[in-house]
Amino acid sequence: MQSTITKRTLAALFIAAVGLVLLRAFDPARSWIFPPCPVHYLTGCYCPGCGSLRAIHALLHGDVHRAWAMNPLTIVLLPFVAYGLFSEILVGLRGRGLPQPRLSSSAIYALGCMIVLFGVIRNLALVPFSLLALGAMLGF
Amino acid sequence: MFCPQCGTNNADIAAVCVQCGRVLQAGTPAPPLNVTGVVMPPAGTTVPNYLVFAILTTVFCCLPTGIPAIIFAAQVNGKLLAGDYAGAQAASNNAKIWCWVSFGVGLFGTLFWILIFGAGMLRHLR
Repeated sequence: MQSTITKRTLAALFIAAVGLVLLRAFDPARSWIFPPCPVHYLTGCYCPGCGSLRAIHALLHGDVHRAWAMNPLTIVLLPFVAYGLFSEILVGLRGRGLPQPRLSSSAIYALGCMIVLFGVIRNLALVPFSLLALGAMLGF
Repeated sequence: MFCPQCGTNNADIAAVCVQCGRVLQAGTPAPPLNVTGVVMPPAGTTVPNYLVFAILTTVFCCLPTGIPAIIFAAQVNGKLLAGDYAGAQAASNNAKIWCWVSFGVGLFGTLFWILIFGAGMLRHLR
């Protein structure tokens, strides 16, 4: 019999798979099924995550350059988040995850600051920071 | 002693795994002595910091509510290293709460958006 945590993991995997299929099929820039970023919608400023869905959409189509232009932070963090999520899936399925680095608290604070800082500087109208704005490296 | 979670070889007296932070008391037959008044962590438990989910909700869902989750994730690791197990557990719970808040806000926002546009589409079609 499957435990609750295994069932939950399988359910989460299923939802994630559906999400990825939708994200590959529909371009978040053109399709209405993906909601806009609430921060950008309300303030007009780019948040650290603006463009992350478009970046993953581009990645799913093999366009790394476009993905990088949409949100470089997403591309930098993606391997680590993917590793962590894969480990969580293994914990759910077999009870044991992958080796995890024990980050010091200052490293995590630095990571948080980096994310916030990225969100600030990509709104500046100053080269090279303005290149971090959504799609700027593609000449939008 | 090898960590049951990640397999790292730790010193036999280690209370937590140096690699993943899992509490290494599983082999002890009697509950650990509470000499200094410090609450010892229960055997075989780990204090998750939910950092992966905090980053997911912050960067991949465009949500500012992920920031407190990252801050609490940092507190979990800092307090574990300092030996403050209860504090780490509290920070862990807070990190978990903020991750779920972010997830809830994201889910609600998405459903709200689809509802509005779905209604708009239907009206457009009629």
